Amino acid sequence: MKIDFSSRRMLIFGIALATILDTVGQLLWKYCVAGLPSDAGLSQAAWGVLHQPLFIVLAVVFLLQLFNWMKVLEHADLSFAQPITSLSYVTVLVLSAFLFGEHIGATKVAGVLCVLGGVWLVSQSESHSEHNPGVRS
Amino acid sequence: MNTPLAGIILVVLSSAIEGFAQVCLKKSAVLSVRKREWLALGIVLFVFEALLYSGALQSLDISTAYPLGALSFVAVTLFSRWLLRETIDLKRWLGLGLIVCGAALVAGQP
Repeated sequence: MKIDFSSRRMLIFGIALATILDTVGQLLWKYCVAGLPSDAGLSQAAWGVLHQPLFIVLAVVFLLQLFNWMKVLEHADLSFAQPITSLSYVTVLVLSAFLFGEHIGATKVAGVLCVLGGVWLVSQSESHSEHNPGVRS
Repeated sequence: MNTPLAGIILVVLSSAIEGFAQVCLKKSAVLSVRKREWLALGIVLFVFEALLYSGALQSLDISTAYPLGALSFVAVTLFSRWLLRETIDLKRWLGLGLIVCGAALVAGQP
């Protein structure tokens, strides 16, 4: 399977997919943890999550996320692509409100606007540093 | 170790580790040698970071720990500049600042 993210359009697709997978992973994690007793300690929580059937799905999501992310990094600056995935703060917040009935106050709305503005600014910068093969050898 | 200060140090440390782990993944993605080694190191660091962060949550309130986690964006950008020689132009710096503020606001309690 040959996947190439060298075109701008594919790069945007890759970063969007990274954000979506990040969102799905976080929500699944939340859902797994929400099913545990609230007084469970850290080790009990980890153990409980491992025994959820959804954990398999979560593991698959993490693997897909890693594979997709490596493809993105082949063609974009880390300091370009990674900040853009902060959009998952927005998607997780909005979906949490729908799925878990969490309240969104004025502070969070302000935060969402800041994140969106920041992502827009980063996306206006060059996605790949010039004269830069990516790393020192 | 169970003071908030220790928790804050752990969160800052885990943000720094996240930055370095991302650099490892980037190196694995673009280098032609030692791809697997960089990938493995990156994954190990991510797992280590998750453990550290969980440890921090035991001594730190979530409303403090979550917003502080936005520091990982700073760490990634600084390490990209220092270790990967990426050019961070003004737009990217400003965007980073807004994202860090926004993420901290979103992650904090209402």
